[in-house]
Amino acid sequence: MKKKKAAGNGAFKWFVMPIYLFTLFFVIGPLIYMVILSFLEREETWGVTNTFTFGNYLSIFDPIYLKTFAESLRLALISTVLVAFFGYVFGYFMAKLKPRMRKMMMMLLMIPFWTNSLIRLYGWIIIFRANGTLDSVLMAIGLIKEPLKLLYTYPAVVVGMIYALIPFMILSVYSSVEKMDWHLVEAARDLGATPAKAFWTVTFRLTLPGLLTGIILTFVPSMGLFFIADILGGNKVVLVGNLIQEQLMKVHNWPFAAALSVVLMLIMTVMIWAYRKIAKADELEARL
Amino acid sequence: MKNRTKWPSVYLAVLMALMYLPILLVIIYSFNESKITSVWGGFSLRWYTELFRDRTMFEALLNSLFVGVVSCFLAALIGTFGAVGMSKVSFRSKGVIEYASQLPMMIPEIVLGMVFLTYFSLLRLPFGMITLIIAHTAFCIPYVYMEVKARLVGLDPSYVEAAKDLGASEIRAFFDIIFPLMLPAVASGVLLAFAMSFDDVIISVFVTGVDVNTLPIKVYSQVKTGVTPKINALCTLMFAITVIVIVIFNIIRRKNDVKTLENKDL
Amino acid sequence: MKKFIALMLAVLVLAGCMAGCAKKKETLTIYTWEGMFPQEVLDAFTKETGIEINYAVFDTDETMLAKLEAAKGGDYDLVIADDYIIEMAINEGLVQKLDKSKIKNIDSINPVYQKQFYDPTDEYTVPYGAGVQTIVYDPSKVTVDIKGYADLWDESLKDSIGIIANYRVINGMALKVLGKSYNTENAEEIEAAGAKLNELAPNIRLIKDDNLQDDLLSGEISAAVMYTSQVTMAKLENPDLKVVYPVEGIGFGIMGAFIPSKAPNADAAHKFIDYILDAKNSAACFEYLGYYCTTKTADELIADEYKDFLTLPADFDASKTEMIENVSAEISELHDKVFTEFKSLCE
Repeated sequence: MKKKKAAGNGAFKWFVMPIYLFTLFFVIGPLIYMVILSFLEREETWGVTNTFTFGNYLSIFDPIYLKTFAESLRLALISTVLVAFFGYVFGYFMAKLKPRMRKMMMMLLMIPFWTNSLIRLYGWIIIFRANGTLDSVLMAIGLIKEPLKLLYTYPAVVVGMIYALIPFMILSVYSSVEKMDWHLVEAARDLGATPAKAFWTVTFRLTLPGLLTGIILTFVPSMGLFFIADILGGNKVVLVGNLIQEQLMKVHNWPFAAALSVVLMLIMTVMIWAYRKIAKADELEARL
Repeated sequence: MKNRTKWPSVYLAVLMALMYLPILLVIIYSFNESKITSVWGGFSLRWYTELFRDRTMFEALLNSLFVGVVSCFLAALIGTFGAVGMSKVSFRSKGVIEYASQLPMMIPEIVLGMVFLTYFSLLRLPFGMITLIIAHTAFCIPYVYMEVKARLVGLDPSYVEAAKDLGASEIRAFFDIIFPLMLPAVASGVLLAFAMSFDDVIISVFVTGVDVNTLPIKVYSQVKTGVTPKINALCTLMFAITVIVIVIFNIIRRKNDVKTLENKDL
Repeated sequence: MKKFIALMLAVLVLAGCMAGCAKKKETLTIYTWEGMFPQEVLDAFTKETGIEINYAVFDTDETMLAKLEAAKGGDYDLVIADDYIIEMAINEGLVQKLDKSKIKNIDSINPVYQKQFYDPTDEYTVPYGAGVQTIVYDPSKVTVDIKGYADLWDESLKDSIGIIANYRVINGMALKVLGKSYNTENAEEIEAAGAKLNELAPNIRLIKDDNLQDDLLSGEISAAVMYTSQVTMAKLENPDLKVVYPVEGIGFGIMGAFIPSKAPNADAAHKFIDYILDAKNSAACFEYLGYYCTTKTADELIADEYKDFLTLPADFDASKTEMIENVSAEISELHDKVFTEFKSLCE
């Protein structure tokens, strides 16, 4: 593996062929179209003209749109941090179960997500609504006297986000904890490390790639997810996703929607790049 | 690892229960007489009767399953081979392609849907199953790719070295050594990808053709006229079938596995 | 690897076949929202004419137009969508003129719903349902006597109103309170309406389009601005709710049926239009749908329990209604901005 030369590509060049072709034809192709679109002018009622403009990008600097970007980032970060915490612990414990239990857990984890997401969100509405499941339980044990009015609030949105995104984290962490070599932890313990220290210096470092993947798999969709904010937040939290949706579907301003998407994509790329730098992901991967 | 407390199990159980709570409520409310999805109006099988009269709902379900399975299969192939291959080749374009292949995850679905629509009609692809599968494969690949890549990182290279020392070719070493080690990651990637595909509406509605409806399209296009608990009934049925399949699967496997498990258990 | 490629190809061919090889009988492809017709009415049409119905669905009007454009006016035989998008489709040349000689029941259409902005000479469309936006409230929870939109600004309604997510309707509400038109092209008027709307923000608990009636019925909100079909559902469930036709005026919307320019089976589409204009079928459709009935011959066949919902009250001043029409690009961008700002203040 050290002698990585052009000749070393050997048979592996056939391995990457499908992803090269597919990406070229069905990802890069459409994307070029999107970027071009973002520099065009809109037609008065429907469609686009062939006139070049920077105007779409300049429009984004309107305070109300900038605020929307900030709001999306805030929600995405809050959700990602919470998902990382709960998901890591879950994935870690899950990987320590007996093999048969692990497989069971993995299936159990995914089954709820194979049903329709809109319907699952209706389930949460039933839980959160005034005098709903949560209120009844809390009132029965005497914790509260008045209904909480949790539905259509920010906390409800955050819970919905965690719920939707946590499988991504759990499965990523799980698959990296599962392959971990536990002898290293035992060795650290034998050398006198406390359990906490052994966890931090060995386990955590070795499972970092999984956490990293999980965080990206969580953060990326959370920037674009607006359905949850709509349904559990009563549309009061305006995210970039909502904005793009409305520009496309109600205002019929496709170029502006495309420009918003390009900017969203760039922000995510920068955030992921910065994050990987901080987490030293490249060093981790270089060990391969 | 013998110092087990019960806290991990409690944590797992509580979180798992929370994940099933909304589903449980969906199931309960599928037996709700009222047309209103969140008000209890008494027990009834009304929505199940309506569901069984609506064959288009089942057609949509089959379409969704088909699209999900085929796209996940393609994504698993392309993603797994891609991730493994990318770690071995040294093309200059590698970084670009790798980044680009992940982009469908970063672009809001609505824009991706719109762009696919225009692009496919530019290519003169007939809208229908094929365009649906291409679009779904595009956003499924990143999940498989990322999971496999994460598992490749830190994989002990000595396995492959050992195989090669024993005279195996690089390819042979891949199929015999790396591939089996990758399987759990492929599996978790596919599980996620399937969930995404099975639930996607925004992209699907743009790239589908005249006679292919998927289940989510059926659900979301009800928004104008009101979503009825018929969907709850369908979700309940699907849920029940999934559980039954998994239980049977496990019983069969347990019979086969008993011996191997006894040796492997940690 | 060859095996994999072969397998992939085989799967694709199979998929293509499933998509393409299915058709044999004469079919009619209808493109609209889910749940626009009772299944019995569709089945009876097939039984009567032998034409199989292929029911394709979209989620929003815009998806429909984008798809229709990609198909260059082909693929679909009959489309039912909202008024404003029909105007765009006609302007894009995607709609064909109706052959009225093939529609025997054409005269049964209620003239109130004809000669509208999107089709001033009734050449392209027949109406299929209409709706208004009204205020509905629960008198047991609301202390003010709501007569019009202006009453929604009352402080006693803090955090208890639900509204639909259509910015033309909601901004229009504020425009109406200020005595302006829904369709104003005057940017200052819209900005003034935006400022007025921002004062409403503390009272708003919820903004959404789907199933808003559920929240009113479950007590999550005590007053709502919603669409006709939602009002119908809410009233049927809880007759004590009060429906208010706002004194400031009412925004009107009509759904219309049209035949795309290159419809593969325009003949069957004409047959279907004729079929649903039949009084009996029409009555069945509107009872099921809960929108205002656009077929006058059907009015008398509608069951009593629905009678109150399927048309405007007789004493309502018809001059107070206004269609919500398309406005210029610049103005719709302004509308969106105003609405976005309002939403972000509601939190």
